[in-house]
Amino acid sequence: MKSKAFSQKILKILPAIVWTIILVGAWEIGATVVANHKRTPENILPHLYQIIAAIFSIKKVANGMTATQIVLTSAQATLLRALLGFALGALLGFVFALIMKMSGVVEKLIFPYLMLIQLIPVLGLAPIVLSITGDINKSRVLIAAILSFYPVATNTLAGFKSVEKEKYDLMYIYAAKKWMLYSKVLIPASIPYFFTGLKIAAPMAVTASILVDTLQGDGGLGCMLSQSLKHAMSIYVFWLIVLFSAFVGVFSGKVMGWLEMLVSPWKRTVNAKKKK
Amino acid sequence: MSEEKREVEIKIRELGVTFRDNSGNDVQALTGVNLEIYKGEFIALLGPSGCGKTTLLRSVADLQQPTTGDIHIQGQTPKEIRLQQKFGFVFQQPVLLDWRKVKKNIELPMEIMGYSKEERSKRADEMLEMVGLKEFANHYPRQLSGGMQQRANIARAFSLDPYVLLMDEPFSALDEFTKEKLYEDLLKAWRATNKTILFVTHNIQEAVFLSDRVCVLSPHPGRLSAVVDIDLPRPRTLEVKDTPHFTELVTKVRNSFEGGSV
Repeated sequence: MKSKAFSQKILKILPAIVWTIILVGAWEIGATVVANHKRTPENILPHLYQIIAAIFSIKKVANGMTATQIVLTSAQATLLRALLGFALGALLGFVFALIMKMSGVVEKLIFPYLMLIQLIPVLGLAPIVLSITGDINKSRVLIAAILSFYPVATNTLAGFKSVEKEKYDLMYIYAAKKWMLYSKVLIPASIPYFFTGLKIAAPMAVTASILVDTLQGDGGLGCMLSQSLKHAMSIYVFWLIVLFSAFVGVFSGKVMGWLEMLVSPWKRTVNAKKKK
Repeated sequence: MSEEKREVEIKIRELGVTFRDNSGNDVQALTGVNLEIYKGEFIALLGPSGCGKTTLLRSVADLQQPTTGDIHIQGQTPKEIRLQQKFGFVFQQPVLLDWRKVKKNIELPMEIMGYSKEERSKRADEMLEMVGLKEFANHYPRQLSGGMQQRANIARAFSLDPYVLLMDEPFSALDEFTKEKLYEDLLKAWRATNKTILFVTHNIQEAVFLSDRVCVLSPHPGRLSAVVDIDLPRPRTLEVKDTPHFTELVTKVRNSFEGGSV
C-alpha cells in the first residue's frame, strides 16, 4: 500500500521533472550555440548558472545599482500599480456580476458586449489609455484593471448561476428575504468561481503592467526590459527581469489559490465520497 | 375510536394543476384531488413518476400555484403558512451549503427567522442529537456520507418546529441499509415531535412501513386514485416487514393503482 502511494506521488511529479530537464537542456544547448557565434561583448543568451550568479552579483551595472537592485526597484513601480489595478478590476468585476445576476435586463444589455473588452488587443489599448490619462502610473492601473475585470466578472456570474434550483426552493420555503438569498447562498456559492477569475486575472494584470511600462521611459520593469535589450546596460538585467516577471506571474496565481484556501476552510477538508 | 375528535391539519379541495409544456400544450399534472390530513398524521404520497405526487407536495408548500381548487393548512393558505416559516422541507438531495459546517446548516432556517445565537445553537444541538449527528456538528457536508447528509437535511427541516413536514423522496438516493436505519430514526423523531408529515415516495414498501395512510396517485392525468389505511401497530420496527399483514397491505396498495401498466 505504502509503496503504491509512493509510486503514485512519483508519477505525479514525474512530468514536471522531465519538462525541467528538457527545458534546461534546450536552454544550455542554445546558450552554447549562441556563445560560439556571438557578435556582441556579452552573450545574448547566457548560461543558466551565469543568470543565477547575476542575481547575487554585487557588480554595479548602471546608476550605481547591481542588477538585482535595478530589478527590484523597477518592480516596485510596476507591481504596485498592477496590484492596485487588479484589485480595482476584481472589485468592479464582482460588482458587475452581482448587478447582472440581480437584473436579467442588465445582463442582456451588458454581458454579450463584455467580451469586446477581451477582444481589444492590449497593445492597441495601452497607448490610447496613456494618451487619455497622460500619466504612466494611472495607465498601468487602468490597463491592469481592464484586463482583470473580464475574467472576474464572467467567472463570478457563472458562480451565481451554478446555484441549483433546490437551494432557491430551500430559501423560498423558509420565506427568506432577497438579501438573505444573496448573503447566505448566492454570494458564498460564487466565491470559488470568483477565485477562479482571480487566478486567471492576477498574472494578466502583471503582464499588462509590464507591457504598459515599455511605452514610456519612466522606470518600471517593462521599461528596463526594453532598455536592457538595447544594450544600454547588462544583458543580465534583461534575463533577470524575464525570470522575475515569470516568477511573479506564476506566484500571483498561487497567492490567489492560497487566499482562497484561507477564506474557504471547507475546501481544505477531504471529500468523504472521494476518499473511498 | 377517537377518529371524530381528530383535528384536520391540511384540507385539500378539488386541487388541479395544469402545466404548459414546451410545445404549448396543456398537461394536467393533477386533477380533482380531495384530501383531509389530520394533525400528527404520517401520510405517504405514492405513485409512479409523472403521477403528480411531487406537484401535490409542492402545492402544499406554496412552491407551486394550483390551477383549480385550494389548500388550507390550519385554516390558512400555504403562502400564509410559508411566510410564518411553519414548513419543514426535506429534499431528495441533501441541499446543504458546502461552506457551512453541519451545525450551521441546521441553523440556517433559524437564522432566516431571526433566532438569537444562543437559541439557534441550543436548538441545533437538540436536532443533531435527534438525528444522531452530534459528533459531526463541526464537520463540513462533504466530509459526511450520503446518509449522514440526509440526516442533516432532516434535522434542518425539524429545526423550526414546523406545523407540517414535507418530504420529497428523501431516501431514494440511499442504499438499503442506510435507508432502513433512517426509517426507524425518522419514525422516532416523528413520534417525539408529533408533526404532520407528507412523505412522497415511489417505493410501496417504504410507504406502507412508514405511514398511517397511503395516498395512491395514478398518472395521465395525475389523480388520487385510492387511500389505503395502514393499520400496522406502532411503534413499528423493521420486523413488521416480515409479517403477513404487511405483505397483505403492500399487495392491497399495489392493486389500487389505476392505469394497469404500472
